[in-house]
Amino acid sequence: MTDSAPETSGVDAALRALLADVLGLGADRAAALTDDSGLFGALPEFDSMAVATVLTEMEDRLDILIDDDEIDGEIFETYGNLLSFATRKVTG
Amino acid sequence: MTGHAPEHRLGIAPVAPPRATVVVVPPLFEEANRTRRTLVLAMRALAAGGFAALLPDLPGQNESLVPLAEVDLERWQDALAAVTRTTDGPVIVASVRGGALIDHRVNAAAWWRLAPVGGAALLRTLMRARVSADREAGIASSLDSLHAAAQTAPLLLAGNALSPAMIAGLGAAEAQPVEPLRSVALGEGGIAGTPLWLRAEPGEDAVMAQAIAADIAAWSRSCGIS
Repeated sequence: MTDSAPETSGVDAALRALLADVLGLGADRAAALTDDSGLFGALPEFDSMAVATVLTEMEDRLDILIDDDEIDGEIFETYGNLLSFATRKVTG
Repeated sequence: MTGHAPEHRLGIAPVAPPRATVVVVPPLFEEANRTRRTLVLAMRALAAGGFAALLPDLPGQNESLVPLAEVDLERWQDALAAVTRTTDGPVIVASVRGGALIDHRVNAAAWWRLAPVGGAALLRTLMRARVSADREAGIASSLDSLHAAAQTAPLLLAGNALSPAMIAGLGAAEAQPVEPLRSVALGEGGIAGTPLWLRAEPGEDAVMAQAIAADIAAWSRSCGIS
């Protein structure tokens, strides 16, 4: 880890690694995720517990705080939605 | 204790009299299920290396007859301390994740902690799973509303009925200082492997289990235990 907050590409890499860890995707499937890749509702592993785990791990690994009110179902619809949410949080 | 039968414990003994007894304190709640298989593989490796390995059921978990809603972290700390009261020879505590929050009352010669985590983060994840499940069911809940409800009655979080005392305790729990302690993370300089405790579907990692056993054995030696 460096002192500065992760940049955009770093967010992408961190998010893919995180999803690989939580969903057991393996590096290949995680690398193959595109903006349109479906998450919640599309991947059977992505249940409500996985959503919760992803949120807490995002806070820890991206050094951000996520407010309950910011979360809606759309964020977890696709990888692109989740990435743009994470990027917005990191870049403030 | 309160009249309940003693809790089960999974013990794996070495062929010869043990060098020491390793008490494994697993992660808490769902994370325990996700890691159990790998931890038991590590226990087998420890036994092959001459250690006795013990994985006790916490009151309210696994085969325990105690309702989970009756327990809190204090009770788990006391239960773990009681597990080794009659153990001969030195005891090494090996705790993982939230297990580090309840391992400090054991009368041990050394502690080993893998990826210790604060109770607040664990509680936040459990609460968020409830909010997310509620949202799917069309029920509006929030971390605030759940915290308020948890003041007076057990709250069902990801299948766990947690008492007000458990939730309050967990929210404030930090791993306590112990001596001598080796605290290890995943990755370079620590244990090679992936955070199985996060996985939505339980997995297992035999290589990681071997690494865990080897690291505990090396720590035991450097503490002069054996």
